[in-house]
Amino acid sequence: MADTPETVPLPAPEERERLTRIQIDRSCRQTVVWYYASAVFWLLVGSALALIASLKMHTPGFLADWEWLTFGRARPAHLAAMIYGWGSMAGVGTLLWLQARLTRNRLPFPTLLPATAVIWNLTVAFGVVAILAGYSTSIEWIEIPPSTAILFGFCIAAIIAASIRMFRSRESKHTYVSQWYLFGAIFWFPLLYVSAQLFLHTPAAKGAVKAAANWWFAHNVLGLWFTPIGLATVYYLIPKVIGRPVHSYHLSLLGFWSLAIFYNWAGTHHLIGGPLPAWLITVGIVGSVMMFVPVVTVAVNHHLTMVGHFHHLKYSPTLRFIVYGAMCYTAVSFQGSLQSLRSVNEISHFTHYTIAHAHLGVYAFFTMVMFGAIYYVAPRLLNAEWHSAAWIRVHFWTTAVGMAIYWLGLTWAGWEQGKMMNDPRIPFLDIVRFTVPWLWSRSAAGVLMTIGHLSFAWLFWNMLRQRGAYLPGPTLLIRKDEPVAVGGGE
Amino acid sequence: MAAFYLALWGLAGLLGASAIAALVWAIRRGEFDQLREASQSIFDDEEPVGKVTDRFPDKRF
Amino acid sequence: MNRAWLLVVGVIATIVASVTGLVLLPDRQLRSTGPVEDEDRGITLPVAYFGDAEEGRKVYMDLGCIYCHTQQVRPEGFGADIERGWGMRRSVARDYIHDEPPLMGTMRTGPDLMNIGARQPSAQWHYLHLYEPRITSPGSIMPPHRFLFEVRHSADGLPEDAVRLPDEFARRKPSWIVPRDRARWLVAYLLSLDHNYEVPEAR
Ligand code: HEC
Repeated sequence: MADTPETVPLPAPEERERLTRIQIDRSCRQTVVWYYASAVFWLLVGSALALIASLKMHTPGFLADWEWLTFGRARPAHLAAMIYGWGSMAGVGTLLWLQARLTRNRLPFPTLLPATAVIWNLTVAFGVVAILAGYSTSIEWIEIPPSTAILFGFCIAAIIAASIRMFRSRESKHTYVSQWYLFGAIFWFPLLYVSAQLFLHTPAAKGAVKAAANWWFAHNVLGLWFTPIGLATVYYLIPKVIGRPVHSYHLSLLGFWSLAIFYNWAGTHHLIGGPLPAWLITVGIVGSVMMFVPVVTVAVNHHLTMVGHFHHLKYSPTLRFIVYGAMCYTAVSFQGSLQSLRSVNEISHFTHYTIAHAHLGVYAFFTMVMFGAIYYVAPRLLNAEWHSAAWIRVHFWTTAVGMAIYWLGLTWAGWEQGKMMNDPRIPFLDIVRFTVPWLWSRSAAGVLMTIGHLSFAWLFWNMLRQRGAYLPGPTLLIRKDEPVAVGGGE
Repeated sequence: MAAFYLALWGLAGLLGASAIAALVWAIRRGEFDQLREASQSIFDDEEPVGKVTDRFPDKRF
Repeated sequence: MNRAWLLVVGVIATIVASVTGLVLLPDRQLRSTGPVEDEDRGITLPVAYFGDAEEGRKVYMDLGCIYCHTQQVRPEGFGADIERGWGMRRSVARDYIHDEPPLMGTMRTGPDLMNIGARQPSAQWHYLHLYEPRITSPGSIMPPHRFLFEVRHSADGLPEDAVRLPDEFARRKPSWIVPRDRARWLVAYLLSLDHNYEVPEAR
């Protein structure tokens, strides 16, 4: 970088900090832009597969003669593209940038890390194609072949090495709360993924216990991979955007450790009523109910941080997405705890209600937070402004409203479906016919969300070409001459 | 089987107790002091507390 | 909380604890579960999959039937699985000893299939249903699996398991559907799904 502090005569401390931050952000450019661009690509692939699967569900004749797109393949391919492609790649990009920021270090390994992005893409592509070609493992959330564990393991090892390296030469002696969550995520994910593949594909677990391993894994991908990355982002970006420290640091500490301890155990609530020992299911229920603790602490903390600053939602695209996501985190977790109670589960299990719940977690919470993060990070990496505020609005409203329709429709339909299923006098085909209009509502929601994703991809494409206004420094989203309403009496 | 469950409960108790011990130890060592400072650590002179750092982009485009 | 090693040890400890509790311990408890003897018939139950049924299980997995069908019967008083005729007793861990991996599923867009072989023992019915579910089940949203079949229009040299398509579903009359190997295997697997026998742990 040509303009190191030495070339500037006696830089004021404030100027020096600005330059350091520019350098940190620039050091992430290669790697994080690779991860983000790939994530956006997979978002589009995943959306296309989602629409196909959704349409097929109410109109089974649609594209029915293409075996590789039959519902039972398009659906897991959609999941793989979204979870391992979009979610994980957007998550890793954000995780690396956050750690560089938090430790005030440049991102190391400028060739290795972009190479991991390439490997990650190839792995996901291999997985998605394998599913469409009929090589799915038929184990939910981990349909992609077990050999992918080696490739993901390699990428994560490089990411762990980079994280440790940045952390060890950090400037401040404080470890910010986001950093804990990020350390949690990068150690949890490889342990989860590799041990799940072992339990599921070797005799390390047998028969019905494989189902327990399956749900231990699947639930924890959300709980110990996406959730910590999402919360780390929220804990950094809400205070940073509104310029106000987290309300209570004690609460964030409690929130982290209670999540680490309880979330781990929640997975077996997916097997209530199933053929596993009662104590195992009870443990899952207890873990799920105890999740009230971390969720309430996080919700209270974020709310109290935001109080008095809600008007910024009007001005900041990042904040809009992140606050929507944070609120949905609270909602999805409450819903999850309730759903694990036997009396609720008896109805909601095996229905579309669960599908709505899963999307509330992975989409309304995690995906929306990632959108917010990309809106914040990308301009700072590429020194360009987003080129159109209108498209950002389109993106926000289509995805926010689409998600709401999706959730309301399927939650209601699922609940009714469950009650009807538990009444043996109602013929099964009547239940099927009852759900069809609601499956249409899901497709309508999916179209809206896809429109949002296309506008986001369009914005991102123009960002890559730096079509927006040039930004000399990374924080000039507010023009210096413009009076900015800074709320709160800090 | 009974011995197995006894061992299980013993192990659970042991784990719980060591978690509490670790917490007490960490508090004694001052790991939880200066929490306020830690929450300020993401701000600096150039992006101080009170500065808003994100806004809808200019609508010239 | 500024010490990274403490954090990392804590993080790893939590996950090791959960995998021990949720996977290793139940495995220890259930690993020794074996089949039950059926003295009258001189066999052990559940029967291991072999031949066509074993191949059919792979077809079931690759076509993703699991996303709409469960294979687990919930106990009496918890849902209405038994009243709906999906099985005479709840499913137990023993039922899955040959299942690698188990295909329990989490979604009932369609009915439970734990005992479909007992409930619907006609291969012909299954062929028609797989070819076009709306032939047997008007209003069904199950996808047609026409790609598992060959369509012929002449009765000459038809194999034994060919099925005549009802005229309203045939583009050219008359039409017969001839199952390809994968359809034969899949149906053999479906017909093998029958867990309607007594086990000591369920009553
Ligand atoms: C999109 C969801 C969906 C998929 C995928 C699906 N089914 Fe179905 N299935 C249904 C529905 C709905 C019904 C109930 C109506 C009917 O009989 O067609 C059903 C019914 C059945 C029945 C009859 C059950 C009974 O009790 O009468 C069988 C057998 C069956 N499906 C087998 C399969 C197999 C094998 C596959 C995979 C190749 C499969 N299904 C894939 C939705 C699905």
